[in-house]
Amino acid sequence: MKRKLLSLVMAGAMVLSLAACGNNAGSTGSTGSTGSDPVGTTVEPGETPSDEDMASQDITLKMWCIATESDSNRHSYEAAIADMAEKYPNIKLDWEAFENESYKTKIKAAVSANEMPDIFFTWSCAFLQDFVDAGKVYCLDNAYQEFKDELPESMLGNSTYGGKHYGVPLTMNIVGLFANMDLLKSVGYDEIPGTYEEFIECCDALKAAGIIPFGCAGKETWCVTEYLESVIEKSVGYETLNDIFLGRATWDNADVAAAVDTFQGLVNNGYFDPNGIALGNDEVKANFMDGKYAFYMNGTWNCADFANNEAFFPKVKVAEFPVINADKATLGQLIGGPSDTLAVAASSENAEVAAKYCFELGKLICHYGYLDGCGLPAWTPYGDTSAVNGLTQSVAEICGNATGYVLFGDTAMNADDANTYLSYVDLVYGCEVDGQGFIEGLANDIR
Amino acid sequence: MKKKDIVNGLAVFLFLLPALALFIGILIAPILKSAYYSFFDWNGMGDMTFLGLANYKELFTSKAIGFMKALGNACILAALSVFIQLPVSLGLALVLGRGIKGEKPFLSIYFMPVLISTVVIGQLWLKIYNPDYGLLNSALTKLGLENLCHIWLGDKKTALLSVFVPTLWQYVGYHMLLMYAGVKGVSPDLREAARIDGATERQVNRYIVIPSIKPIIKVSVIFAVTGSLKSFDLIYVLTNGGPLHATEVPSTRMIEMLFQRNRYGMGSAIAVMMIILCFAFALLISRAFKEED
Repeated sequence: MKRKLLSLVMAGAMVLSLAACGNNAGSTGSTGSTGSDPVGTTVEPGETPSDEDMASQDITLKMWCIATESDSNRHSYEAAIADMAEKYPNIKLDWEAFENESYKTKIKAAVSANEMPDIFFTWSCAFLQDFVDAGKVYCLDNAYQEFKDELPESMLGNSTYGGKHYGVPLTMNIVGLFANMDLLKSVGYDEIPGTYEEFIECCDALKAAGIIPFGCAGKETWCVTEYLESVIEKSVGYETLNDIFLGRATWDNADVAAAVDTFQGLVNNGYFDPNGIALGNDEVKANFMDGKYAFYMNGTWNCADFANNEAFFPKVKVAEFPVINADKATLGQLIGGPSDTLAVAASSENAEVAAKYCFELGKLICHYGYLDGCGLPAWTPYGDTSAVNGLTQSVAEICGNATGYVLFGDTAMNADDANTYLSYVDLVYGCEVDGQGFIEGLANDIR
Repeated sequence: MKKKDIVNGLAVFLFLLPALALFIGILIAPILKSAYYSFFDWNGMGDMTFLGLANYKELFTSKAIGFMKALGNACILAALSVFIQLPVSLGLALVLGRGIKGEKPFLSIYFMPVLISTVVIGQLWLKIYNPDYGLLNSALTKLGLENLCHIWLGDKKTALLSVFVPTLWQYVGYHMLLMYAGVKGVSPDLREAARIDGATERQVNRYIVIPSIKPIIKVSVIFAVTGSLKSFDLIYVLTNGGPLHATEVPSTRMIEMLFQRNRYGMGSAIAVMMIILCFAFALLISRAFKEED
């Protein structure tokens, strides 16, 4: 049953891959790529080394990632790296982890200066595309042949540019509506409300009981987008939002303006913690686990942290955000997809070895990450997966019923557009502009 | 010209050459390179497209980039530095320079914030301002002043001032030390003579000490103003320019353009403008002090 469910999840992800960045690279995308091969294709992949070759070379590979001590994925990286060290004792992996936001700056600076590590963590789609277009990423087509039975090609859609593969996907995640069921029960709800009307009634009841409905880290704008994008998607439908994110349609869309006003209505109704605007995501998550908020909309990678907290885990449930406009959106339209990716630097002196190592490491990180509940596997699961926590299984069920995905806006758009978009999201959350101002501003300012 | 003079000149040039090479390599060349990049549209990785002065035009006209607002914030910080931070530093330097009891321990205590890493100071002040458990709101609540409690760093009305307070506080000790050295350098004979003539301590400070340390005050003003124009680290840690861009300064805009938006041309244009402004202000301040003399 679980394998069937995961097959459905992967089929859903294929919809995403075809609908989102696959088109971005293959035809006219949000970044205005013309469909010609990126510069990166000039870095032709070399021969993939055999297992014997891998075991006979004494080399050191350098890797950068974002699995810091406090990151949900830390354990899966450590376990995977330990397995790789056992398999290839001759290959020394010198790895470093950096905080998410500062890593974005660091990796871009390293790419500009041509000082990249052999293997590096990246987000797929537009984030990786800039590096690929600049010819800084090693093409993984040859190395992939060995793993194609375990890694469906559909999962590579977000890291495929000009028909060539440049990334090894790890896990896939969506935005989930996490709920503290103890708090919901205290106002008479045994389940997360399934319709928008019930959901608003529930928020009103929570507010009346002195419970803050939503926790959101205003200091990190991507956390606000987890709410806003869900509201927009469930108002205008995933196809419209995808078209806008990928530059196939303009932001000047009255339905989007209305959806933004709906979101702002939630803010103005006092459903969000006012202190959240000065807090980072870690603080907000801690508050949610301490029972300060009833709902927390964020990536499903949080399942691992929730599952690891024995006191909190029995209280938490996950669902998808309810449909706001049933004429345009349906349940099963989700925000997310495979984004966490490992890639190999074209400048690596051991690129062939690094490419194969990257696939094997990615497979193990995916395996352990899935067991830990850090997300759904991009790779075909293997071994005993019965220990996967119930929350992650609920996410798999939601994804199993998915009808369409929209990749996170700041990942789908190129860096400049994404930051313009995030600036306007800030303005919306701070009620500085309304829906009309949001769409007009973005239509004008996105280059 | 005598042969000896030529040899001497050559020797001077040779001795200066390493420093000159370093100066050009580390300071001049990067500035010129930045100026060059500022005329292009470049994402830091791919091809560059020549734009002429378009980046500068956009810098001063685009609301989305918000450079003028960031510059305005930096100017407010500069004004606060000159009119609040430096007088406090001067006051402390004058008091400690008198040789009061506990002079050395006080000197160390006031200088301590300069020695602590800015990131650590940022984290400390984040805890002070935290709306849930922060020291400031807790103290106000304990004093029965709940109505004064704020989301200090999250409210755009209070964020700018909240960020500037630790920024100013951190460098009070630095300027105090500069001025303290000057105060200590004032001849005791002059003070003594003034006192014999019946001058009060205040008059001694006003007519003897402060005029004597004017060159140091000038340096402090230049450091305070240029430091404000290029302020970055503490603001980055506390708010990263938020909320709603309320605490943006030119450096935070530059970092966003360079590393978050991949707009190396625009980022370079901001860098060039910062350099020009710092030089211009330094010259203006020097000129102002000269005219006063």
